[in-house]
Amino acid sequence: MAYNDLVADCLQNEPAFCTAKCPFNLDVRDFIGKLQQGRFNIAYKSYRQAVGFPGIVIALCGEPCSRVCILKDKGGSASLKLLEKASQDYARDTAPDQYNMPAKDKRIAIIGGGISGLACALRLLTKKYQLTVFEKSGRIGGHLHELLSPEIFMDDIRSQFIHEKYTLNLDTEIVSLESLDFDAIYIATGKGGNDFGLSLSADVAFASTKDGVFLGGSLSGSDTMHAIADGLNASNAIETWLKTGKMNHTVPAGGTRLMPEAVRPGESPAILPYNGVSYTKAEAVDEAKRCLKCSCDACVRYSPLMGYFQKFPKRITEEVQVTIQPSSLDGNATLATRLISTCDHCGLCKEVCPKVIDTGDFLLQSHKAMREKGAMPWAFHEFFLRDMDFSNTEAALVKPPPGIITSSYAFFPGCQLGASDPEYVTQSYRFLLKHFPGTALMLNCCGAPAEWAGDEPLHSRVIDNIRDDWDKLGQPVMILACASCKLMFRKHLPEIKAEFLYQLMADKGLQLAKRFTETTASVFDPCASRHEIQVQQSVRKLALDAGFTLEPLPLEGNLAGCCSYGGQTAIAHPPYAAYSVKQKTAQNDHPYITYCSNCRDIFAAAGKPSWHILDILFGLGSETRRQPGISERRNNRLKLKKKLLNEFWNENAIMENPIDKLFVSAELREKLNKEWMLEQDILIVIGNCEQSGEKLFDPEAGTFSGHMNVGNMTYWVEYRLTQDKVFELVNAYCHRMKIEEV
Amino acid sequence: MANKKRLLCFKCNKELELKKTDFSYLGHTFFTEVPACPRCGQVYISEELVKGRISEVEMQLEDK
Repeated sequence: MAYNDLVADCLQNEPAFCTAKCPFNLDVRDFIGKLQQGRFNIAYKSYRQAVGFPGIVIALCGEPCSRVCILKDKGGSASLKLLEKASQDYARDTAPDQYNMPAKDKRIAIIGGGISGLACALRLLTKKYQLTVFEKSGRIGGHLHELLSPEIFMDDIRSQFIHEKYTLNLDTEIVSLESLDFDAIYIATGKGGNDFGLSLSADVAFASTKDGVFLGGSLSGSDTMHAIADGLNASNAIETWLKTGKMNHTVPAGGTRLMPEAVRPGESPAILPYNGVSYTKAEAVDEAKRCLKCSCDACVRYSPLMGYFQKFPKRITEEVQVTIQPSSLDGNATLATRLISTCDHCGLCKEVCPKVIDTGDFLLQSHKAMREKGAMPWAFHEFFLRDMDFSNTEAALVKPPPGIITSSYAFFPGCQLGASDPEYVTQSYRFLLKHFPGTALMLNCCGAPAEWAGDEPLHSRVIDNIRDDWDKLGQPVMILACASCKLMFRKHLPEIKAEFLYQLMADKGLQLAKRFTETTASVFDPCASRHEIQVQQSVRKLALDAGFTLEPLPLEGNLAGCCSYGGQTAIAHPPYAAYSVKQKTAQNDHPYITYCSNCRDIFAAAGKPSWHILDILFGLGSETRRQPGISERRNNRLKLKKKLLNEFWNENAIMENPIDKLFVSAELREKLNKEWMLEQDILIVIGNCEQSGEKLFDPEAGTFSGHMNVGNMTYWVEYRLTQDKVFELVNAYCHRMKIEEV
Repeated sequence: MANKKRLLCFKCNKELELKKTDFSYLGHTFFTEVPACPRCGQVYISEELVKGRISEVEMQLEDK
């Protein structure tokens, strides 16, 4: 089904179960929300507006809501009736509102002075229609006399009609409608009463088969509560007739499509009134707070993006659509650009949605559309696309297995594993060659950054290159170390059979350098592993074999959340990335075991002790190892390439490490990392200043400064040359705005 | 890099003077006065300007 159709099917605005069951369709979420805040007066007004006669309804309502309350087996249904009474008891002012409106000239007859007729009369009177009630007996109230003491219901009726005037004809039996000269008639003559030979129209609410004549209440078989509700609702049908001359008023179908699984109640014992009869204010508020105000908000609760923005799929769709197809005067309003670029594409929104609405994919397609029309700011993804290019050029390496011509397998560690620690890759490759000697090597990026940037042509080129390399190697089975790579392969290279490194490790077993007994940790499943049950189990097996005690996380397995790396949102929306990582690291106090190097490094940067499973298996970094900075990550990839060539193919690659010529203080390095400025680029800028002489001199500080475009970004550097021919960086910063130099 | 520091163009050995300079981002253009060499036009943008007004306008244009 198309995304727009799915969103139309979204359950966000479906009524709560109790509301759907309520004869008056009381908006319980709204009513309870007010009580939760102790706002009894306003809660009572909402209630009165919904039921017409609050005193009578409180006295007689059979609480059908309690039968469908989601808390029924979790401590007891919410006591709505007692809460309704509390709203009445503690309302500051229970007098009905007085509406100062001009009188209308339309005249309406109500036949039957029972509660349904009175409800209809009350609603029409507040709209200032002229009302005449005909009652064949000598009293109003109808069948309520059989159910309640007249003191209770007459008091309520008097009270609700206090501001309204109407003509009441008691002891007046209408035997024929022909004798009545009115603009509309509501017949509510009670159970077994006179229907004047009319019947209800099949598809129009309360309409009889005669124009301008309506039927309802016990006459139509309604019980007391529905009879009141009929009167209130019939007033709307009558008004439609009076305004349009058409008998076409419809009432919503009722019911709810809300699914019980969308609401996950905890145990919560019902609050019982201390006096056994009615709540105190405090008791009422406590009971109101038990109410879950059932609604389908799974996406907003789980998806970090929807939770951060507090936006449901419908709102997101609207904002994104006006962004892609702007209708503003200058045709250039891009309301949701940043929202589109904030999605980490973790897939959790779709996973938790009972209607399987895939907002993440919608945002990905929207991102593509924005990029195609050149409306997506280049700055959001340029750093990551340049990084991907680096991985696929300078740091890339595609080699058949050492000493073997045909490849049965190819190890594809992904671009960031070796960037985090080159040993992750070299040790894994040693392991693979020991067990699977025909394993080739492919140091590449899987193209995820291009997909996340919405750059389809670039993404296709990356995918085509991977396919070409794979073909040249003889179409081996890929061994992957990164769940995101696996997802990308499944999506874009389905012809390539791929397995996880960790599954092979769990199968073959490893000789551990260290055991971790008496250590409790939690496995953090990367979001891309959501449906990779086998690798999730393999990693847990490896951790248990290493001696760990494992504690589950709220977000794991099919509910795995993104560490904040996905979608590479850190430049487009830094506060969101910080929010998302905090949400993930705060799940418990145990250190995490990850099997995605991005998760590990992001958690390490956030101060959350985390191992990569390869740290544990090969005795590498500790759980508190500092995450490498962005420049170090590039160096690590070059070091890795050099080491692999040397160790496995006996090739001595000469790779200069230019940033050895640059001195950067630890403090400044931290700043460069935060601002996504590479030391490699800074050295190029300095080199350009030195070569061209286009630089400025600060005689006081003895420093030079200059600028240059790196990609689309303008880099500024301030530096001095030290005696040992090393450039000391004094400061650096960058901006996205381009200087239009003459 | 303080805004008011004395800077010389290395090539021209001239002290920088304020000069109207054009900038562009995401299809929009603006101008402001920044220090520049009176002879060759080489400009200087301070970190203060970058972190202040420039970054503010960049954000506004991205969210426009």
